[in-house]
Amino acid sequence: MKSTDPKKDNVSDEFTISRKEALKKIGKYGKYTALTALGTFIILHPKKAQATSVDNSGLIAPGADGFFD
Amino acid sequence: MHEFLSKAVEDKSIVWFKASNNYIILEEIAAQLVHQILENKTPQKIATGLAEKLTISEQEALKAVHDLNNRIVIPNTTKSKEEQISKSKYILPTSFAFQKHYHIHNKVFKVEFANEFQLSLLHPKFAHLETQETSKIEHTFQVFNANHLIHLVLDGECIGAWESENIHYFQGKFSMKIIECIYTKSEAEWMGVFHASAVNYNDENILILGDSGNGKSTSLALLQAQGFQCIADDFVPIDQAQNVYSFPAGISIKKNALPVLLEEYPELETSAEYHYERLNKTVRYLPPQKIDYSKAAPCKALVFIKYDATIDFEISKMSKLKAFEHLVPDSWISSSPKNAASFLDWFEKMPCYQLTYSNNELMYSAIKRIFEDDL
Repeated sequence: MKSTDPKKDNVSDEFTISRKEALKKIGKYGKYTALTALGTFIILHPKKAQATSVDNSGLIAPGADGFFD
Repeated sequence: MHEFLSKAVEDKSIVWFKASNNYIILEEIAAQLVHQILENKTPQKIATGLAEKLTISEQEALKAVHDLNNRIVIPNTTKSKEEQISKSKYILPTSFAFQKHYHIHNKVFKVEFANEFQLSLLHPKFAHLETQETSKIEHTFQVFNANHLIHLVLDGECIGAWESENIHYFQGKFSMKIIECIYTKSEAEWMGVFHASAVNYNDENILILGDSGNGKSTSLALLQAQGFQCIADDFVPIDQAQNVYSFPAGISIKKNALPVLLEEYPELETSAEYHYERLNKTVRYLPPQKIDYSKAAPCKALVFIKYDATIDFEISKMSKLKAFEHLVPDSWISSSPKNAASFLDWFEKMPCYQLTYSNNELMYSAIKRIFEDDL
């Protein structure tokens, strides 16, 4: 639809669409978003067995000075 | 029918599959589709319903159903080879270089170590429980190397054997066996063990979680000094009835936390220091005060904590889904359907908070207010 507002004379016709067309486009994107969301998921796996913090399991040099005191 | 659970949380669903023991966060509508696939409805029928719901073509809907089936249902309903704890053939050593006895709850444990290195893996955390009373020993552990694996034997039965990079699982199994023995509950009766600190106030518990180095243990030590009861550090067992139990291992205090804690715990200045060469960390252990083994109590809230010198104090409610993402990979959760269901029910009820602080007084106050439902 061509604009009759002189201020908008420099707006190209290809970016001017009817409300009906605009709603149709938004509706389509909504469905695609829903489809994308369907295929989006996060998989979480608990530890395979009980464990302490890795921080506390570092190898200690046996016989190191101050090792036991 | 494959064993499967589903729970709505916030605007998503969390589903669990027994075969994989995976928890999956996905859209509610995707969870409904997974249900239908598992009920053996034909893909075409499922797609017809989906096409109507989303106002899309049946072709698009069918593609989406197949996609879900291939990416979620099939991989999680195919029973993977259960990773068995290695149990190699071994010859039990005829003598052990070190022997320690620990009095934990109402039982005395004897632990025999083949060498000093193995002693160093377990003893420091339990040193404060050492006893000279050896007349009545309830259980005997033996720790030794064989076939380049560290072995753990309990009362003559091999519990497992681990490679050096899995030492934290060896330590975890030792702790788990202690818990099973002192509370006379088999592994199947426990919902999970959480990488957290736990603190008790008026018969309720709060779990303090966070990445390593965020200040869980230091916060626990500070709270203990303020009169909150220490329940556990690093290893928090919760049973199927969703009660948190005490675990009496020492609170791990890193060197950089010493200045913060010396005022409350001057004894730390001269306490034994342990150097973890591989991690270039030095740690001391603070004995928990007045451990009460009878105090199994429910959990009030999960608090994800972080010490940050640049932030005085900030607390906010945390997205439960975000909390779940942090919680699950860091925890052992029993893979039985009963325990998985208990875990999902437990988590559903649990308020989650993010607490960042450098102001200790405000941290104490916030924790107290959470306990008193006053936040």
